Amino acid sequence: MTLQNYLVVAALLFLIGVFGALTRRNIIGILMSIELMFNAANLNLAAFDRFLHPGGVAGQTLALFTIAVAAAEIVVGLALLLAIYRNTDTVYAEDFNLLKG
Amino acid sequence: MLTPIAFYALSGLTLLSALAVVLHRNTVHSSLFLGLSLAGVAGLYAMLGADFLFAAQVMVYVSGVAVLVMFVVMLLGRASDLHLRQVNEYWLAALIVCAIASVGLFKVAAGFSGMYAPGPAAPTTRAIGGLLLGEDLVPFELISLVLIAALLGAVFFARGEEAEGGR
Repeated sequence: MTLQNYLVVAALLFLIGVFGALTRRNIIGILMSIELMFNAANLNLAAFDRFLHPGGVAGQTLALFTIAVAAAEIVVGLALLLAIYRNTDTVYAEDFNLLKG
Repeated sequence: MLTPIAFYALSGLTLLSALAVVLHRNTVHSSLFLGLSLAGVAGLYAMLGADFLFAAQVMVYVSGVAVLVMFVVMLLGRASDLHLRQVNEYWLAALIVCAIASVGLFKVAAGFSGMYAPGPAAPTTRAIGGLLLGEDLVPFELISLVLIAALLGAVFFARGEEAEGGR
């Protein structure tokens, strides 16, 4: 398989994630779409590492850092979501208007 | 011979599950498809020879993040959500944004069209370990700080009001 195949798959995964983050009403759906975008970026890093930098592992190490940061992000995001749900009693992003005063 | 079959099967699994994550009306099913899609990405890592990344993906994403999301999905929401629209009214604008972005992304990908992998894939775990404890030592230690901060933040935000009053 050529590098182009992997880049096309990662681009499609990223676009699906962008579409989900823009259109889902449910805030958990938006968080899941963001995870898809992270994975597309990681796939690109691993593919470039394999095809353009044989013998090197810098891209894979960067992908590992991304995985760690993404795990921290989803944990804090879900905890914030629980706190918001306790105040507003809804999971739909358009109803999160606590800051309107 | 076997490589294209495995590649197209894993890509199809990943992309179709990702579409189901984005489009499915039931959020519980969405979170299950998220786990399947992330497992497909793990398979693509294995095809790229990134063995440690494959293991990390399975441990952190497929068995960590997907299960965590599933727990929160089951904690929140109610049964009436199944009859509500899960997509907002801007789907056409989002589709146009994705179409425009896809032109640029595919043009970049087309620049790498005849490029094959140089030689067979070799295990990389040992090299990654050397890099993490050598050149990348500072970011590696900073990541542990980030994870501790995330842990404390999650406990702080998720703690209820009554838990604060009980002390």
